[in-house]
Amino acid sequence: MRTEPGVKDLALEPRGFARPARPPQATIHTVHEVLSSLAGRYRAHEVLTAVRHIPARPGQFVPMPGWVRPELADAYSAKGIKELYSHQGAAAELARSGKDFVVVTPTASGKTLCYNLPVLNAILENADARALYLFPTKALAQDQLAELHDLSTLLDDCFGVFTYDGDTPSDARKAIRERGHVILTNPDMLHAGILPHHTKWTRVFENLKYVVLDELHTYRGVFGSHLANVLRRLARIAEFYGSKPQFISCSATIANPGELATQLIERPVEVVEENGAPAAEKLFVFYNPPMVNRNLGIRRSYLNETTRVAKELLARNLQTIVFANSRLHTEVLLTYLQQANRPRPGQPEPVRGYRGGYLPGERREIERGLREGQVRGVVATNALELGIDIGSLDAAVMAGYAGSIAATWQRAGRAGRRSGASCAVVVASSAPLDQFIVQHPDYFFGRSPEHAYVQPDNLEILINHLKCAAFELPLAPDESVGRVPWQPICERLAEAGYLHRSGGNWHWIQQAYPADTVSLRSVTSDNFVIIDVTGENEGEPEVIGEVDFSSALTTVYPKAIYIHQGQQYHVERLDFDQRKAYVKRVNVDYFTDAIRYTQVRVLEIAEEQRIAGPAARAHGDVLVRSQVVGFKKIKFFTNENVGAGKLELPENEMHTTSFWITLERKLLASLPFALSDRQSGIFGLLYALESMAALLLMCDKRDIGTAVGERPASPGIEEDWHDFTTAMTDPSQMKEFFEPNLHLYDAYPGGIGFSEPLFHVHDLLLGRTRELILACPCEQGCPSCVGPAGEKSERTKEVALRLLEHLCA
Amino acid sequence: MSKTLLDRFARVKALQKTSNAGAQNPVSSGQMAKSGRFPESFVEQRLGYSPNIPEGAERLAELLGAKMVRNQYGEHLALRKWFSDVANGVKTDCSPLGHGMADERVDASALRLLVPGAPEVVANPRQWLFLDTETTGIMGGTGTYPFMVGIAWWDAGGLQVEQFFMRDHGDEHALLVTLAERMAERCVLVTYNGKSFDWPLLETRYRMTRKLRPPTPQAHLDFLHPARNLWRLRIGSVRLWELERHVLGWNRGPDLVSESIPETYFDFLRGGPPEPLVPIFLHNQMDLRGLAALSSRIVSLLAEHGIEEKDGFELFGLSRICERRGETKRARKHYEQSIALSELPLESNRAAKKSLARLAKREGDLTLARDLWEGMLGNSREGIEAYEELAIYYERHIGETQRAAEISREALNAVQQAKRSGIIGTGAYQQLRGRFERRLARLERKAANLPLKSVVVESAAQPCESNSREKPGGYHARIE
Repeated sequence: MRTEPGVKDLALEPRGFARPARPPQATIHTVHEVLSSLAGRYRAHEVLTAVRHIPARPGQFVPMPGWVRPELADAYSAKGIKELYSHQGAAAELARSGKDFVVVTPTASGKTLCYNLPVLNAILENADARALYLFPTKALAQDQLAELHDLSTLLDDCFGVFTYDGDTPSDARKAIRERGHVILTNPDMLHAGILPHHTKWTRVFENLKYVVLDELHTYRGVFGSHLANVLRRLARIAEFYGSKPQFISCSATIANPGELATQLIERPVEVVEENGAPAAEKLFVFYNPPMVNRNLGIRRSYLNETTRVAKELLARNLQTIVFANSRLHTEVLLTYLQQANRPRPGQPEPVRGYRGGYLPGERREIERGLREGQVRGVVATNALELGIDIGSLDAAVMAGYAGSIAATWQRAGRAGRRSGASCAVVVASSAPLDQFIVQHPDYFFGRSPEHAYVQPDNLEILINHLKCAAFELPLAPDESVGRVPWQPICERLAEAGYLHRSGGNWHWIQQAYPADTVSLRSVTSDNFVIIDVTGENEGEPEVIGEVDFSSALTTVYPKAIYIHQGQQYHVERLDFDQRKAYVKRVNVDYFTDAIRYTQVRVLEIAEEQRIAGPAARAHGDVLVRSQVVGFKKIKFFTNENVGAGKLELPENEMHTTSFWITLERKLLASLPFALSDRQSGIFGLLYALESMAALLLMCDKRDIGTAVGERPASPGIEEDWHDFTTAMTDPSQMKEFFEPNLHLYDAYPGGIGFSEPLFHVHDLLLGRTRELILACPCEQGCPSCVGPAGEKSERTKEVALRLLEHLCA
Repeated sequence: MSKTLLDRFARVKALQKTSNAGAQNPVSSGQMAKSGRFPESFVEQRLGYSPNIPEGAERLAELLGAKMVRNQYGEHLALRKWFSDVANGVKTDCSPLGHGMADERVDASALRLLVPGAPEVVANPRQWLFLDTETTGIMGGTGTYPFMVGIAWWDAGGLQVEQFFMRDHGDEHALLVTLAERMAERCVLVTYNGKSFDWPLLETRYRMTRKLRPPTPQAHLDFLHPARNLWRLRIGSVRLWELERHVLGWNRGPDLVSESIPETYFDFLRGGPPEPLVPIFLHNQMDLRGLAALSSRIVSLLAEHGIEEKDGFELFGLSRICERRGETKRARKHYEQSIALSELPLESNRAAKKSLARLAKREGDLTLARDLWEGMLGNSREGIEAYEELAIYYERHIGETQRAAEISREALNAVQQAKRSGIIGTGAYQQLRGRFERRLARLERKAANLPLKSVVVESAAQPCESNSREKPGGYHARIE
């Protein structure tokens, strides 16, 4: 059993890291002041469902190991580091003994030393040695560059350290390949920029001693499955040049860091878990927005409430970071907070936004502003969840539960890295998961964080990387790629015209560059560029940002309101083929939300089992079709629905895996409810199941899709594509399900490994879902359990519970 | 496991054939049908001694009269052909053979305009090895193969061309060994766009063997950049066959579309017939012959005392090349010549004058510079710049504040007109107008001021003068 993660989470910066002077820090007293004004006229225990004090704790130290080169020890000493935290010491020894390992450390516990110390020591011992550092984002690499430059200066510039990413000017690249001892890059660049050109990197690959994977926990799901394959390719290329690098990984707290690392690098891995860094005290608060309508289960808007919390904190001059769960919400919150915190004349904006889609220069400026204190508040997506150095803030406010225990601790760790006190506030939305968490605080505080899953052998992903591998180096018959029989795949690839076999080896025979068509982060590598044409007649149209393919359909459809840095833009035109969205600046009092229809057809059942009900559970392959068919206009602040529009956008089709529960005819017939109530109850149950599935799987809710389908006579049988989901809004119009399938599918082509685990934890899933609905104080169903009441039958909650009784019997 | 795996293949997107594959290739449709039956025959073939070589390889050798080359790493096809002329039946006066250049030494200093510090050996055309590859893609990277490497050299009063061809990937090592042997015989590599494409690609191939070191030529002459300087302005494109037509004055005749080359080769690998490869061999030969002819032409244009007659465009390009290498004197001479010939289109003529004025100013020849600027005034970009230069000239070098102010006023007019006629955009307009307005304000203030004060202002203005062009706001802020 691990120690409670909360105790480990808060940490001091390693001593001696010089930071610019900042205003006085928070004290526990100020934080309590904020809390009492938040509770205001409400009953404190109803809105502040948890206020946990996490005490300060002392650090555990070990001396600098004797084998560390004196000049390196001196350099660290000059930075104020004369001894190591216990986990740093353990990491250094493992590195020294040549083991692959992963260090599990919360935010700001001096994790970079865990890899910098052994790597730099190795370079000082052998100037030929090379190391490759992988960070999930470019920004993180930039951040590390500064730290390593510091050390390099203290060591008379005896080693070269460079970032190598999409922003690296092409005339600098050659010098970097020749002179870089430590190359800081990201998986995408390794995949598309380095491996396909490995002959230019001969010097690095021949001497590659270390590969560092920072923020290992981010490599889960689709991204992780891709990374595992990129690392397979890296290992092949290294072997080609006669090197076998050692892997050092760092991860935020998750339940299975060792397992994840082992799956990613496909070697046994040691785990360092005991954190020796000291921690300052912190208050961790769950805030549930007050009920405004108990019957309907409607609470005050969590976005408005988040604004209120942040305003209270900012008003006391506490530097605050606000996390939102989507780009849209980032911009909405930014709008609210900027209105409340106008810059003083001649002063820069005190509250800024930060998310993917902002241009790099803009981001660097905001990071600097945060470190130096001019920026008092920042509204961010998870882009700032990772270890980008923005200094230590006083408070972290989360608009909505981050989706996982691990991410929540990670975000909370953004506040209070140094001495003093800090606070973290989770403002619950009415989403089921949020309500479950804030109403069961012990579940959060007492439980180890979630597991991270990857599926490196996902066929879609694997085959794409096999193509890349063949491009890099012909595939030889004696190679092994994971546990997969890849030879037959190559034969298929040859038939499809991608590969050619010569002398037993498989060679790439296409003009196209395979890595170009494989994006590690989303389904396609196509991004939509967003072009502001407001000033078309006077100046040139300006590119203000970009969105990836999958979010484009839900964010920049025609007539959508796209929000960028608090400015609203009306999407004039979406050029689907050219991947461009043309927008004009507008000022309106609403935002837009896409309506998407989804249909699922079962192709093949992998496993099926009768369960109580009578019902059945199954998992297998499915075909999912989805389409954005319209949008709603939602008024700011009141969240009223003030209009809607229809859209005709291309349909998306994907093969993936799904877990589903089939409700048999007998079960449905036994329910004493009207048809429309029954149908509504089925959708309500699925809504609740989805929330709990996301909780059990540690995945983003976006990684799971839901749909209700009809059990076919047999898999793959063609049937009418009915607009089942349309029925959600109007149950009376709906066709009756004979034997409905409640699908929870992996929202990635080929599946990402959720379906089978869900099949196996099926009992737990149903049990938890029942707990969720039972614990919800609403009467007829609300967004926190079976979905918003307004759009459903009054008996939704009742029917869903009755169904669960049968299923759990 | 593996059964279900195979069953699932049908649904995997990554396995689907790209929709446009083969579409670019005019002959592919028939071949694709054939390659559909290919796997069976392929399996049978695999049992034979030489499992990799496509069926058509032998017939290809017969068609071309190519022979097999063997070395310790295997074998590959090679085709040798000697040409007495650079294009079929064309004996133009620009042919190097006409000049007998291959037997003489060329002007080394001319070549150093292309490769600064090139060794003396570059001046010996007998050491030149022309090289051009045909590849499986144009993107580079470790999965792009030069399946055909053509080389050529001057020999016996003509051009000897040799082409190496890999019948399949297994021939690559052997081919690279042969190429290295040829390169050891002639130490100056001559290419067209080979500096950024063919040669790095070949170096990659050598590195991929892990056994062979890439050959190291003593010098690498690449004629793409000089060709761009000399002819892009006039011809628009600098593709080799276009230069042959417009510069060397001959027509290649039927040639293939080079975009179709990779797909043709892939079809051959998949078991397609060898006939479609023949035009690739011919294409590669024509490229080598064109390159050989063009290189002679370029060298004689670059030669300081070359007898080659040059048109205005070539002179302009030449001066650009000279200027970049710091040959200011020669650059000035050619700019002057190109302007004098008055063949250049308006825009390039202005660019030539602007450059000449800049060189003249740098060398202190202010009178010439002034004359050029005065001749350029107008609402073009260069014209507006000329106003600015003139204003500076009159203010700083002559001390005629009034005249400088007058010029600034005219400039404001020209800027206005340029904006109206769409020559400059809004941003540029605002920037330029601001610049001239500030200049004018300062000049007027200077003219009106008492002599004593004007000295003070002048001393403050001097350091700003040079900054004002980079930082338009700089001066303004100081004055306020």
